[in-house]
Amino acid sequence: MNPNNSIGYPPLYQRLYSVWYRHMRVYRQHLFSNAFPPFFEPLIFLAGVGLGLGRYIDPIDGRPYVQFLAIGLLVTSSMWTAFFECTFGTFIRMEFQKTYDGMLAAPITANNLIVGEMLWAASKGFFFSFAVLCMLSLVSVIWPTAMPLLPMPNALVAPLVGFANALMFAAMALLITSFVKTINHFNFFMTGIISPMFFFSGVVFPVSNLPATIRPVAEIVPLTHSVRIMRSICDGHCGLFLLWDTLYIVVFTLIIGILAIKRLKKRLVL
Amino acid sequence: MPTPVIQVQNTRKTFGTLRAVNGLSFEVEANTCFGFLGPNGAGKTTMIKMLYARVLRDNHAAGGIDVFGYDPTHQELAIKYLSGVVPQEDNLDEELNVIQNLLLFARFYNIPARQAQNRAEELLAFLELTDKRTARIRDLSGGMKRRLVIARALLNQPRLLILDEPTTGLDPQVRHIIWDKLRQLKRQGTTLLLSTHYMEEAFALCDTILILHRGQKVLLGSPRQLVAEGIERFVLELTESRSQSEAAIEPMDAGIRVDSTGPTLRLYADEIEALKTIADRLAGDPYSLRPSNLEDVFLKATGRVLSESQ
Repeated sequence: MNPNNSIGYPPLYQRLYSVWYRHMRVYRQHLFSNAFPPFFEPLIFLAGVGLGLGRYIDPIDGRPYVQFLAIGLLVTSSMWTAFFECTFGTFIRMEFQKTYDGMLAAPITANNLIVGEMLWAASKGFFFSFAVLCMLSLVSVIWPTAMPLLPMPNALVAPLVGFANALMFAAMALLITSFVKTINHFNFFMTGIISPMFFFSGVVFPVSNLPATIRPVAEIVPLTHSVRIMRSICDGHCGLFLLWDTLYIVVFTLIIGILAIKRLKKRLVL
Repeated sequence: MPTPVIQVQNTRKTFGTLRAVNGLSFEVEANTCFGFLGPNGAGKTTMIKMLYARVLRDNHAAGGIDVFGYDPTHQELAIKYLSGVVPQEDNLDEELNVIQNLLLFARFYNIPARQAQNRAEELLAFLELTDKRTARIRDLSGGMKRRLVIARALLNQPRLLILDEPTTGLDPQVRHIIWDKLRQLKRQGTTLLLSTHYMEEAFALCDTILILHRGQKVLLGSPRQLVAEGIERFVLELTESRSQSEAAIEPMDAGIRVDSTGPTLRLYADEIEALKTIADRLAGDPYSLRPSNLEDVFLKATGRVLSESQ
């Protein structure tokens, strides 16, 4: 116990943990309905693409199209969940449910609360990537000809990439939330940022297929980097570009994260 | 004399161009109940939130807040650890049931599981919610929710309990139960600080009342003191047919004060006889002659006309 804390309030790691635990506990309360989408959604994609669309598409990088897409889904699932959690979720807790009014009356600082929020979103990203990995593997076992097994054991790293990716999108989402005055404004960001990223960051088709003029744009947006890392892990080849991708994710998360904490704190503590 | 639990000196808070709290100073002694009384927008909630760093006071040299010897701007965690807060709006976790809400909140204080369980059961019994132990939050009445929020604020056995309008919108039965519980807590050594619109509540609970208006202190004292010193002893209220009544009250004795700012005409005096004489002249117009109370003091201090923020 440090000298400033003779009073006995919980130390930093416990304060962060208690915020994380609060969200986990509430999520767990309706585990079945909450965990249904991450497990079921990849199946819809695989069925739609594997049974239909995929037949018209040539293999990409030596992989059947359905598997190419599946590797992308390992990353995007964590993006969607983190972004939803820290935009709509955070906004609802802050403005409608007044959850933070209660939490900030307990020995938790606004900073603790916001960082805890990010860690929870990142953990959800981990869980969502893991869920997709489970379903992909399950399909591969049942129907190997349609959906080849993801390269193992490399693909087991997917949830960790999901964690880092979700942390990055949580930071971005919280920064957006710090600006948003009414919940409907999130639609701009959802349709304006997240949806385009899904299609133009190497998830659905390789970035190299983009026109040369647009390619630099793909390089600027965050999702491209997580997807490239995930693909190189699955393909088992690495290069210097991984350093750039990792650096991008670390720097982006730090800068946007710190900005988000600063701005959101002003909304929580007047 | 022991050090006060709360010492506030010349504290200000500005939101944009609005000075919500303007040079407020007061002290709260340990083991007493201190009440903020004021119309909506008077600065009660802002002042309360400044005590536990939910709102940061304006930074100026002369101002200062001290709670248990800690400054909220720099040592909010210590203050929050020693206090319990009942916010104006209920904010229970709707997804969880009654006992789960308490157990989850106990986590924030790092109370060990077994101890938290015991404490939660004890508080449910104290606030008469044991029957509702596993009820869903949406099935609780407003009064039950409020009591649960109070129970939640007591989990850490706070030495200071801060309540922002604890009984607003509740029926009289529930209000009396809550008052009773709060008195019990005070007897057990908890210092209480509350804000309220209700004069009876302030009268029933508070040892000291601070009447706030537009962010400033208007009156400070014990409820009895305020009624004794802040206003004449009796009031005659004429609610109807004002034009005739106004004619009837002439000629008027010295020592009668007329307040005609609101729709009701009120005459205040220390001598009941003077008011009776006027009442007799009213020729059947409805009137009420009664001892003045805290509400009269309050309205005299804060005005009868609505301000912008109300």
